[in-house]
Amino acid sequence: MHVWEVFRQEQEGEPMIHVGSVVAPDRERALEYARDIYSRRYEAYRLWLVPREEVVEVTDLDFLQPPVDRTYRMGIAYRVTVEKRRQIKEMFENLAKEVYGES
Amino acid sequence: MTYEERVEAFKKRIKEGHKVEATDWMPDEYRARLIKFIEMHANSELMGALPERDWILRAPSLHRKLAVTAKIQDEVGHAQLLYRLVEDLGKPREKIFDDLVNGRTKFHNVFHYPTYSWGDVGIIAWLVDGAAVISQGALQRSSYAPYGRTMRRICWEEAFHLKHGEDIVLTAMMGTEKQKRLMQEALERWWEPLMMFHGPPTPPEKDKDLEWGIKTKPNEQLRQEYLSTYVRKIQEIGLKIPDPKLKYDSDKGRWTYTEPDWDKLYAIVTGNGPASKERLSFRRLSLEETAWVRRAILGERAQAA
Ligand SMILES: [Fe+2]
Ligand SMILES: [Fe+2]
Repeated sequence: MHVWEVFRQEQEGEPMIHVGSVVAPDRERALEYARDIYSRRYEAYRLWLVPREEVVEVTDLDFLQPPVDRTYRMGIAYRVTVEKRRQIKEMFENLAKEVYGES
Repeated sequence: MTYEERVEAFKKRIKEGHKVEATDWMPDEYRARLIKFIEMHANSELMGALPERDWILRAPSLHRKLAVTAKIQDEVGHAQLLYRLVEDLGKPREKIFDDLVNGRTKFHNVFHYPTYSWGDVGIIAWLVDGAAVISQGALQRSSYAPYGRTMRRICWEEAFHLKHGEDIVLTAMMGTEKQKRLMQEALERWWEPLMMFHGPPTPPEKDKDLEWGIKTKPNEQLRQEYLSTYVRKIQEIGLKIPDPKLKYDSDKGRWTYTEPDWDKLYAIVTGNGPASKERLSFRRLSLEETAWVRRAILGERAQAA
């Protein structure tokens, strides 16, 4: 008997989500069991069965989330653009005042 | 780190709301408690299919027959999901079934009672499954993540069980006096087992399953939630709850009721309920009758390998 991890896509285009596992002696029975257990009510658009031995698990957080600052990869780190736009606008206004004088 | 220090660190993480996965390290006591708790739950799903099974052939219409059959299939499916978790925690399925049919492990009190009428089918699907959903809803936040995820799926399916049961009861309550009496009598049979369902009011600080975060709510809180959800719904349709002491105490903010006999509950779940022996021997018979299927599947593979 083998353990098969079951992944389900609930609608076309959606991600495959892990929903559980089945124990079965072979592929054919594994997919019958998976259908009976994980899609009795049309919940699955697609199923993936993966032999558990083939799943590579990584849980080491030093590897997955190394303790270095990586905010420069994220949009959120660039909120300063709002302030910078304001400063540039001010710059132009001052420039205009210098050239054309107060009016 | 010593073993004890590791256990302490683990407990602290659980208290902080962290979740445990099957492949994570866990203390032996946590694993043993998970196995015991989830195995009893799984056994209850499996044994819970039996009382309703008796009514497939006696369902009053084709629609009801299909719905009861679908519900029973769901319950066995729930058992499958939960037995997978127990197997992953280290207890083989053969051992699980062997312990079950030999009375070494338990299943829920409500499945130790016989059924007498179609009224029981409605009351079970509505109110027994309703009681189960209250506890399973709380278990969605279990510290053991695979269990919590399984509970989310099970609760989603249970929604149909409750509605189907409620519909059976409501239909009868709109019918003849005889039909109404059928429901009233069924409610009277099930009320005591329902009040026992969530277990004795163990003080939360003494409940080890709560301490490990396997459960998230104390028994008495679950029972109070159950009463708050169902008492009005039951009374509104003309059914009388057979407990003269049952009332909501607004000063204390809680329901008061006739204290169930907890020794009786213990006797029932240890195999001395009115239908315990019969249910277990039926399960034993099914296990024996299907042995050839398992042999055929496994034997065939052994030869092919
Ligand atoms: Fe269930
Ligand atoms: Fe159910």
